[in-house]
Amino acid sequence: MQISVNEAACEGHALCQLAAPDVFALDDDGLVQLVHEQLPEALEARAEAGARVCPVAALSIVR
Amino acid sequence: MRDVVVVGASIAGVTAASALRAEGYRGRLTVLSEESRPPYSRVPLSKGVLGGTQAPETTALPALPDDVELRLGSRATALHTERHLVELEDGDPVPYDGLVIATGSRARRLGAPGQGGELVVRTLEDAEAIASRVPGARTALVVGGGFLGMEVASTLNRHGLAVTVVDRDPPLRRLVGSWLADLVVARARAEGITFASAPDGVALVGDPVRGAAVAGGGELHADIVVSAVGDLPNVEWLQSSGLTVAGGLVVDASCRVAQDVVAAGDVTVVEVSPGVFRREPHWTSAVVQARAAALTLLHGAGEPYQPDHYFWTEQFGLDLKMAGHLPFTGAPRVSAGDPASGSALMAWFEGERCVGAVAMNHRMPVVRLKAMARAA
Repeated sequence: MQISVNEAACEGHALCQLAAPDVFALDDDGLVQLVHEQLPEALEARAEAGARVCPVAALSIVR
Repeated sequence: MRDVVVVGASIAGVTAASALRAEGYRGRLTVLSEESRPPYSRVPLSKGVLGGTQAPETTALPALPDDVELRLGSRATALHTERHLVELEDGDPVPYDGLVIATGSRARRLGAPGQGGELVVRTLEDAEAIASRVPGARTALVVGGGFLGMEVASTLNRHGLAVTVVDRDPPLRRLVGSWLADLVVARARAEGITFASAPDGVALVGDPVRGAAVAGGGELHADIVVSAVGDLPNVEWLQSSGLTVAGGLVVDASCRVAQDVVAAGDVTVVEVSPGVFRREPHWTSAVVQARAAALTLLHGAGEPYQPDHYFWTEQFGLDLKMAGHLPFTGAPRVSAGDPASGSALMAWFEGERCVGAVAMNHRMPVVRLKAMARAA
């Protein structure tokens, strides 16, 4: 499983980071960045939780 | 805890279910939804979906994992807290060890009992129903000049309809304060919206509805008539549950309702001062609450959540992101840009304390905007 980020859509709401700070971080501009290039399996449920709360649908789950 | 049931599958219910799995809950997890469609985002309903420019399927939230049982078309009709059972309209009662109540709210309606054809915007079906009528329509009447009504007016206006907005109060003023409301309304007027005032309210006329009679004189008619007059928390099914309802289901600072019961989202109210209950029916609040609710259910007494006073709207070419306690009083200090040009970063102060910040067509991370509004 991977998380796909639509960087142009991200508005820095940071709800993904709230849901899963070990998966999603904010860069210096306050926009989303993935902590892991390759998502560890143990973090998949957390990554999914972060993706679902994005209000601008900038995150999608790729299986 | 081995059997958790989430009632409601909009963003609050979906977030609660996600958070339970993300935080390590491995037991059975069932999500009940009265709707027939898989969970979706309501954000685009008043915008792209209503206008017919965004396909309804694209509103779907990322699907829940396979280890969550999503039961569509399952409307909860009663809750028995002692017996730990949720009764359904169709089917056997659903037992639970832990319960998340996220039944949201429904559109308030103005029509008389039996009066057909009143349009509202709450569900995907509602938005599709309006979208299907846009191609054959020339005029629209929007009853209600709140955020939703103004977004609907904006979308229909963009699609070439002559739109009138009617309300008791000046549009948006009660919500955001007069300075910002006047700015948006001026923009709406410039784009061709007509505003009508009905201080004593309106009554929908026709069956099916074809207009509104303004109390004290006159009727407004249109091809499409949309009511956008607020929403009502879905608490009726809790009537015999013994849970406390005060204009919504009362949750504490960690979203607990009762033993083994938590709640989140539009269905909830929070006691902000003794006897005063407030709703915060917005996306970010639903997400923050749902996460808190999940943690509370898993770990017993949860940590109080940080309420999120943030809201955004898009209308008449303005992208408005607002943080802080609305409405804002008086004029803002402008930190960047120029409100008159349509793009600005603005902050409202009480004395030297910033109480609210608004980014208008001004791109900045929302976390920074919220930090501005929190800065003492």
